[in-house]
Amino acid sequence: MESLNSREGLFERIHWLIKLRWIAVVGVFLSVFFAVNVLKIPVPDIPLYTIALILGVYNLASLVHVNRSRANFPALANRIANTQISIDLFILASLVHFSGGIENPFIFYFIFHMIIASILLSRLAAFLQATLSVFLFSIVVASEYLGILPHYCLVGFVSSDLRNNAIHISGIAFVFVSTLYIAVYMATSISKRLREREASLKEVNTQLIQKDRIKSEYVLRVSHDIKEHLAAIQSCIEPVTGGITGQLNERQMNLLERADERAGKLMFFVKALLEVTRIKLSREIRMACFDFGDTLQDAINDVTPKAKNKNISIASSVEGTIHEIRGAREYIHEVITNLLANSIKYTPRNGKISVIVSDKGNSILIEIKDTGIGIPRAELPKVFDEFYRASNAREIEKDGTGLGLSIAKQVVERHNGKIWVESEEGKGTTFFITLPK
Amino acid sequence: MSNQPKILIIDDDPDIVEAMKVVLESKKYQVATAKSGKEGLKKVKQEKPNLIILDVMMETQSKGFDVARAIKGDEDTKNTPILMLTAVKENTGLDFKKEAGDDVWLPVDAYLDKPLKPDELISKVELLLGKS
Repeated sequence: MESLNSREGLFERIHWLIKLRWIAVVGVFLSVFFAVNVLKIPVPDIPLYTIALILGVYNLASLVHVNRSRANFPALANRIANTQISIDLFILASLVHFSGGIENPFIFYFIFHMIIASILLSRLAAFLQATLSVFLFSIVVASEYLGILPHYCLVGFVSSDLRNNAIHISGIAFVFVSTLYIAVYMATSISKRLREREASLKEVNTQLIQKDRIKSEYVLRVSHDIKEHLAAIQSCIEPVTGGITGQLNERQMNLLERADERAGKLMFFVKALLEVTRIKLSREIRMACFDFGDTLQDAINDVTPKAKNKNISIASSVEGTIHEIRGAREYIHEVITNLLANSIKYTPRNGKISVIVSDKGNSILIEIKDTGIGIPRAELPKVFDEFYRASNAREIEKDGTGLGLSIAKQVVERHNGKIWVESEEGKGTTFFITLPK
Repeated sequence: MSNQPKILIIDDDPDIVEAMKVVLESKKYQVATAKSGKEGLKKVKQEKPNLIILDVMMETQSKGFDVARAIKGDEDTKNTPILMLTAVKENTGLDFKKEAGDDVWLPVDAYLDKPLKPDELISKVELLLGKS
């Protein structure tokens, strides 16, 4: 089953089946109630309500069973789906029997099961389920016709002589059976095509990931080479501007200092690019348990001098139940430091920054809120993109790599966490990070 | 013959070597140079320097480490301090420091980042020579 190969995908689809069954339970209750009390059709409501109740209990049991067998899912899923659909067909057949047999237009609801089977099961299994439907339907109709089972006539809904009309019954049966098989044929053809497309998309996606990797390796090599040359350039300029090789006149000094500054900016950029590429290429990062509160305090201490320069206050609170979390401490420390440094950079003098960390059970939520310039709404979705810098950020600071948030995103996602941002231009920005414990 | 300490620079980048030489000679140190790990090991024996400045990446990504281990494994040279030039520890504010414990197995006495800052170079050299 190509499209059902992931455990989560299978799990989701079976849950979808269970959800549809809840709708069926409610539908049966309402239809019976409506038929009996509004249309005044004398269907045997007690057996029908009972079947609906059984369907509800059975669905609850299915839900518990599916959740418990989640671990063995890929192996068990087909059997679970097959069994559940078969049981559904038995229940539907008994509902049909107690509600008028062939007189009941709801017999066509068998089609829904055929479509579900065509999506969830193999083509052969779907046709077998269609055959089971036809078999059950035939037993109900034939037994009622031959008087083996009682027939509950839908008085007031269809003419009572129809049930003895063999031609009418054969006609409906023919349409019913052919509808089921045609439905299965069409639905399985469509789902086969979709599965093929899904497989080819997956293939293309794998190729794209490989190409991206090759690109990253190329970026890594090039930036590394650039960095080597830059290091040599800076190493040669510094002794000269430092006066070690003798005194320079003012104009010589000025030009060399400009060259040194530009080389420094380029070095900063290349180092950030190297870092983001390295994280992207590393297959795993080393994780260990560490005290989160201490790490946060370290990050705050690192940026406090910059905050003091602009008279910006930094307040922090960590929920008492948070102690150690599992992750790469240095990486998390750098992410928080970067976010705080960003907040300081884009918050006007006398502003406020607050860090709130709350316990969410299996994870922690970190909120870093500032009273800064904010990010224009239209640009919010792009802020985590590599090299992207918000337009108002560029106005405040011309130089910036546009890589800080991209690195943060890579690191957080490597920890199976999430990072997102909310912002209002002119009021402030809040970055949110969730990290598993 | 000067009584000033002798420093051996082992680095395959001639521009970095030259820059370091200028800085160190301004402080009257004697400077010898080698442009490969192999040549470096030979010169360690010949020149008997008081301090070795060693680049990590030369012929291979980690040639410097091999050279450092060889120097520290030799009875004659094991007490010579080594200052390692590295790009591992970077201070952009965006990058990540190496994890604690990484340097336990590295037989060097101090690190210095590229690009070189003359003041940092001199203070590290003075520190290591004071120690030896």
